[in-house]
Amino acid sequence: MQPIIEIRSLVKQYPKSTIPAVSDVSFTVLKGEKFGIFGPNGAGKTTLISMMCGILQPLSGEVIYHVDGSALDPRSALRHIGYVPQDFAFYPELTARQNLVYFGKMYGIPNPELNKRMDNLLEKLGLSHVKDKKIMTFSGGMKRRINLAIGILNEPKILFLDEPTVGVDVQSKHAIIQLLEELNQNGTSILYTSHHLKEAEDFCDRIALIDKGRIIGLGTLNSLTEQHQVENLEELLIRLTGKTMRD
Amino acid sequence: MRKLLASIVKELQLLAHDKVGLLLLYLMPVVLVFIITVVQDSAFKLVNDNQLELLVTNADKGNLGDSLVGMLKRSGNFLIDEKNDLSEKKLQEEGLSGGKLASIYIPENFSEAIENNTGTITKLILTEFGVSADSASSSVRKETSLNIYFDPILQENFQYTLVTNLQTIVAGLENKVMLEKLFGEMGYDEIPEHIASRMTGEQTPVLAKPASLDGKQKLTPNSTQHNVPAWSIFAMFFMVVSLGGNLVKERLSGSFVRLMTIPPGFSFTLVSKMVVYLGVAVSQLFLLFCIGYLIFPYMGLPQLQLPDAVLQLVVVSVLSGMAAVSYAVLIGTYARSQEQANGFGAVSIVIFAAIGGIWVPTFVMPDYMQTVALFSPLHWCLEGYYVLFLKNGDWNALTSSIIFLSLFNVVCQILTFVKLKIQNYL
Repeated sequence: MQPIIEIRSLVKQYPKSTIPAVSDVSFTVLKGEKFGIFGPNGAGKTTLISMMCGILQPLSGEVIYHVDGSALDPRSALRHIGYVPQDFAFYPELTARQNLVYFGKMYGIPNPELNKRMDNLLEKLGLSHVKDKKIMTFSGGMKRRINLAIGILNEPKILFLDEPTVGVDVQSKHAIIQLLEELNQNGTSILYTSHHLKEAEDFCDRIALIDKGRIIGLGTLNSLTEQHQVENLEELLIRLTGKTMRD
Repeated sequence: MRKLLASIVKELQLLAHDKVGLLLLYLMPVVLVFIITVVQDSAFKLVNDNQLELLVTNADKGNLGDSLVGMLKRSGNFLIDEKNDLSEKKLQEEGLSGGKLASIYIPENFSEAIENNTGTITKLILTEFGVSADSASSSVRKETSLNIYFDPILQENFQYTLVTNLQTIVAGLENKVMLEKLFGEMGYDEIPEHIASRMTGEQTPVLAKPASLDGKQKLTPNSTQHNVPAWSIFAMFFMVVSLGGNLVKERLSGSFVRLMTIPPGFSFTLVSKMVVYLGVAVSQLFLLFCIGYLIFPYMGLPQLQLPDAVLQLVVVSVLSGMAAVSYAVLIGTYARSQEQANGFGAVSIVIFAAIGGIWVPTFVMPDYMQTVALFSPLHWCLEGYYVLFLKNGDWNALTSSIIFLSLFNVVCQILTFVKLKIQNYL
């Protein structure tokens, strides 16, 4: 498979910190791959994803996207990226439709296409009946689903997911995972991070384990568990990062 | 353009949802302008239009005290409540308890002192002219005074106006007595009618007229002409609470992270917020001017007179609105929380208003405060509106306001851009 994202020696240190948040991180995400990034709290996952999306500038190193035969920096690749942050990223005072219309137009999706995509997503995520209700009136699961719908409205080639199923019931979780699988089958590469390790085991093709800003493990789940002689991802994380609680 | 339009529509939807914010933006200025205008108009009328209630005790044993009371009544400025049996102390007590803003005590020797003193001067004049040989040089001046007791709540400028008014009336009375004595010394029983009538009927009038830059004197300075523009500016700048807080809220929300991953980025959001709130600022001014023009006359307040220079009015309004928006965006960009933006924003606008002449005209301030006022954007907005609403000025008179407001806008925008660039938001 061809690489879609290349991370080369990425370093990020915040101004008031004495240690780097991300230190010399390099890896590659392949086209059509479901790639997971895992680590304890404060390991550097969010900083790494923020640099990959162009939200933060690295101190050194580079992120290169390979899309449609071109090598692009994160800012240039934004129109191919979808981002579903852990925090709800919408305007709760507006309706689901108003949110989708706004973000869709910001992505530059033409009106007829936008309407088609909105109807399709709302249907798949079970939100058609509440499309004209303000999101502030939604349940936690519904909010999580509309959060995802906005993030994939532009039919991204690369989708970043940060805890996409946190705080949702089993039905919502099922709908979300099913939609993500469908997107992946249609060619979308997915970069995923979560603390639901069982879900991650089932979902990801390859994983990177990160702690204290460094990659401490990279490969398929099977290869890593065999290498470290553990049963599953949770044991692997404890083996590699210890049992000490993190801030 | 489609993206900007979508962003503007989103801002309008958010604004429409924020009922409290809308009340703050539109109802608060209306209430503020109305209350301040009513209060200042009442104060103006208290001194100039209304008859001031005066409690008078005339203890004078002569007839000049009666003449003075008569002149006070005929002046039309006072409503006299005469109680001649009160002592000076009792007069003060009754004045305060009876709600009179001022009380006058005419002393026992009022006539005697005026008669004596004017008689002395008359004799001196006649001796000087060689008409009389009597010498008045040895005459002793008799002291008397007209005591006015003010309610302590009465402001100093009202007291000054009242004292000046009374001094004019007393001076008129003294002149009349002196002339009667002059004619008496010359053998007349009284001042001849044809002279008396010309003395009272041919006083040179003193007319108060507002100066205007175009010499047309179309606009009348009154509480409306001052307060509607002044407090509209204050209310407009108060959008720092709404827009500044809104910007911080947006930055701290999850939607901001998503916006950072959408190609137009945060810049479209910022520009759309500025466009929408500039519209809010201009519509605030339009609303308040309409109320001043259409509603105030029905409420017994002076009607707002609009200047002839419509284009200049539009330019000053847009520049003022943009200054308010730029300042709010600057605060919203540098503040780290909504509390910071709201607190600092509101306090800074109150300070800008105070030093900028919104509450008290800058010309009454000490020199150093007048220099400080030059740094308040509200001062330059107000100067611009004064030129248009009070002086009927043109482009030349607006030059300094336009230059400063443009500079203020540019500086705020640059500082905002620098901060956002440092934070990688643009």
